[in-house]
Amino acid sequence: MRFTRPPDLDGVTTALAGGDALVVGGGTMVVPELTHGRVDPPAVVDLSHAGLDGLTRAGGWVVGAMVTYTALERADVPLLSRVARGITGGPQIRNRGTAGGSASYANPSSDVPACLVALDARLRLASVRGVREVAAAEFFLGAFRTVREPDEVLTEILLSDVDGKIGYLKFKLVEGSWPIVTAATVARPTAVRVVLGGAAAVPVAVELDPPPAGTTDPAWRAHVASVVERGIDEAGGGWDDVLAPGGYRRRIAPVIAARSVADALGEVTA
Amino acid sequence: MSAPARSGIGASPRKRDGAELLTGRARFLDDHRPEGLLHAAVVRSEIAHGRIRSVDTTAASAAPGVVLVLTGEQAARHAGPVPYFIDPAARGGNRTDIRCLQVDKVVYAGQPVAAVVAHTREQAQAAARLVRVDHEVLPHVLDAHDALAPDAPRLYDDWPGNVVMHNRYGTGDPDARLAEADVVVSGEVRIARSTTAPIEPRGYLASWQGDTLTMHASCQNPHQLRWMLATALGVDEGHIRVVTAKIGGSFGLKMQGYPEETLVALLSKLAGAPVKWVEDRRETLLAGAREQTHRFRVGALADGRITGLVNEIVADIGALTAQAGWAMPNMSATTQPSGYRIPDCRIELDIVVTNKPPNSAARGFGKDAAHLVMERAMDLVARELGLDPADVRRRNFVPAGEFPYRTSTGLNIDSGDFHGLLDKTLDTVDYPGVRRRQAELREHGRYLGVGLGFELTPESSDSPGTFVSGFDTTTVRMSVTGMVTVLTGVTSPGGGNDTGIAQIVADELGIPLAWVELVQGDTDRCPNGFGNFSGRSMVVGGGSATLAARDVRAKLVAVGRLLLGAGEVEVRAGMVCGDGRELPVPEVARALLTRAFAIGDIEPVLESTRAYKPGNINHVPDEFGRIQPYPTYSSSLHAAVVDVDAETGKVTLLDYVMAHDCGTMINPALVEGQARGAVAMGLGSALSEQLRFDADGRLLSDRFKSYLVPRAGDLPLLRMVHQVTPSPFTMHGNKGAGEAGVGGAQAAVANAVEDALAPFGVTVRSLPLTPPAVLALIDEVRP
Repeated sequence: MRFTRPPDLDGVTTALAGGDALVVGGGTMVVPELTHGRVDPPAVVDLSHAGLDGLTRAGGWVVGAMVTYTALERADVPLLSRVARGITGGPQIRNRGTAGGSASYANPSSDVPACLVALDARLRLASVRGVREVAAAEFFLGAFRTVREPDEVLTEILLSDVDGKIGYLKFKLVEGSWPIVTAATVARPTAVRVVLGGAAAVPVAVELDPPPAGTTDPAWRAHVASVVERGIDEAGGGWDDVLAPGGYRRRIAPVIAARSVADALGEVTA
Repeated sequence: MSAPARSGIGASPRKRDGAELLTGRARFLDDHRPEGLLHAAVVRSEIAHGRIRSVDTTAASAAPGVVLVLTGEQAARHAGPVPYFIDPAARGGNRTDIRCLQVDKVVYAGQPVAAVVAHTREQAQAAARLVRVDHEVLPHVLDAHDALAPDAPRLYDDWPGNVVMHNRYGTGDPDARLAEADVVVSGEVRIARSTTAPIEPRGYLASWQGDTLTMHASCQNPHQLRWMLATALGVDEGHIRVVTAKIGGSFGLKMQGYPEETLVALLSKLAGAPVKWVEDRRETLLAGAREQTHRFRVGALADGRITGLVNEIVADIGALTAQAGWAMPNMSATTQPSGYRIPDCRIELDIVVTNKPPNSAARGFGKDAAHLVMERAMDLVARELGLDPADVRRRNFVPAGEFPYRTSTGLNIDSGDFHGLLDKTLDTVDYPGVRRRQAELREHGRYLGVGLGFELTPESSDSPGTFVSGFDTTTVRMSVTGMVTVLTGVTSPGGGNDTGIAQIVADELGIPLAWVELVQGDTDRCPNGFGNFSGRSMVVGGGSATLAARDVRAKLVAVGRLLLGAGEVEVRAGMVCGDGRELPVPEVARALLTRAFAIGDIEPVLESTRAYKPGNINHVPDEFGRIQPYPTYSSSLHAAVVDVDAETGKVTLLDYVMAHDCGTMINPALVEGQARGAVAMGLGSALSEQLRFDADGRLLSDRFKSYLVPRAGDLPLLRMVHQVTPSPFTMHGNKGAGEAGVGGAQAAVANAVEDALAPFGVTVRSLPLTPPAVLALIDEVRP
């Protein structure tokens, strides 16, 4: 196994040029896989010295691929800072894990992908062939699959300012479980956009009518259920894994979506 | 007895090894790294059932760092079968030879088929992945009910089916009682497979000097392990020393009988070097702890008194094991009808093998399931009759004046006050207040529930002819300096019985706690004993330490009388006192051991080895064939308050109370530590823990992201209330305190969830009550 820890981005893209390398960011997902021999790549490229950990306010935000959850927790990035504070695993995981890594790994049962879609983030990918930007909504192709080519590396996540109220809800089975369904909401006066994570193999974005009579109104709930269920079905159906069957995720996704909208609108729940 | 001294019986001095543990200086098995150490990895079957055609070790043998690759066929030339901890044949059941590596057939995915020894653990694991096993795949069966079908695949070719044994328990005529009853309630409880999860997994380190083996092991029963290794390897027991290092949790998992014990000893012998193997978490999670189905019927009178019980149990133990785990379902049967006066019971038990990894012994040891069944029955009767569940229990408890009380299944409950426990629990949880709040919240579409769970915990068992022993042995040795070494046959899994035993010895001898040193888990140093299981350590370890300490104290008194010229002499706070004069204990010890001839007629030995056999054990079958294997019966009453999110099925624990009676508490802080751990284990198996397999029998939940043990944030403060009803049959009136809580917690949660969802009319029939399972319950009755 060839191991490289390039000192800069050029070094990274050069190391990746062969297209056979596993990229290690914070390592919280792939290092255990390597340890247990579940993956055995010919090459490993470690991003930790490549200078990708910048977090800058520039109009919106530029979040370097190696910005950790801990760094996000301490900043004030819309939604992502809040999500970072709720990442399961405690300080050890948050000190290592990165939003960029979570996006690249594209685990359906994780917080970041759906949040990036909700924020209309753009993801910047670099390779020896050049640099390109992809909208988050286009980035996720399936479970653990993205548009990133094997010779590319995610360098930055670009966020514009959000012009609506943000809400977030994460449903887990217990403290230690992966998220089962997450819902990130951006509510504007005329339209409410909710992006669901965990519900399907890829984030599911839906446009909802604003609730005319509160988020517990049965008629609005029925609207949410039909829109969310259709969205999940169009994304290939409920995501199924050892923790929860797809049918369950599809079943509770409208509930989580509605509660996320309630959170965005500042509704006080009992 | 006067008020307890700060460190004596009844006090809670800190754990003796607390500082060592907290500062990372405790030496666990993996911290032992002798010169020239090699590491082993186990190659496990990837299929659930098949015949081994060949094992190709060529690539593995050539891999970097590899010293040795061993197949089952090769191992069988050097080692015989692993002897059983409890042989099913001795109980009239079917058995099979358990090998350290399978020779011709595998019966579960994960079964050891080969092993690799290399210079590093990583090299051994990498090479293990290169071993190729060629199989003839056989059809497999993963469900016990399917395994009972006449045409089901057979795990063991020479058995008539897949049943290890069928047993029937109970006395009286329950069918007649059910026929006469005002109501008959039937129910079902399906308990999914969960497991133990000690922070330190199992591990062994074997090294040979000539024909002498030293085995460091993370295990509970060093003497039994020594015998088993001697038997399997054909080595004289006197040539084997087993040392159990500091243990990071056992929970029954580390009772021995595993293939890897013999295997590691054999690998070390063949490699000619020390060999260590520590299992991976995914290997730890192969072992199950419980999985069974109960179908029951109870008859009750209109006032809630239960008159008869019939229960059919199908227990899925996975493949058969030499470990004690296969025998647990017997206790699910005999622990019924718990602390309730139901003389007419019939419990039918089938212990069934399937193509899954074996169940290993686990805290609760099957008794937990009995409580889940009985407590579900209580709630179902209450529901059927429109009575309060607390009142139904009150009407059925064995009254405090009737002990010892022999149950229908033969257990002789030593003592207790179950009504007292119920009162304490209801008071502490504010039962009327919870009911009021429940009614208010229901108005707002919120579902609060409260559930009760009574648990009767038979402890400190003895099974004749096996290594499940109801006695133990301790040596108390005072040196010439007055310092005391206690060598005991019981071991500590980390729960702190070393502290408790030291407290007893210091108390009995009248010396400061700091003068007492404990030695446990070393077959060369400690007297023959049986280690740790069944809440026995303080009952029999503490009891035998008491007897031995009293002998030494008597000697101090005799010498003190002589030296002080006093008639009445006592020992307290390290001084021998009489007639207004006193001598430090070390001086008295030194006098006896250095001036023995001057002192005269007193045998100069400040040492005693004593065994303690508690009362109440009776192995002579009565006219119904019942035996009585437990001296003590702890009891506890649990109340869980839950909130159920009816839209997602998620259960949130809001409050938890355990009223606990383990008789005299030697160290209340340690009792509470054990109880909280057991309750947390019960809550985990009730709400989130489940071992899941794919259709091919491969474990899916092989890490803590897929096997969900509760974390601190999942649990409320577990509130403890104590009641002390001393056992008349043990040295200090203490009862076992290592297991109580698993079944009570499961039952309280199951009942609380059903209570919360009473407006929907759901009936809980299975554990764990994960959010998908709870939502399915609601959907099943939702119009």
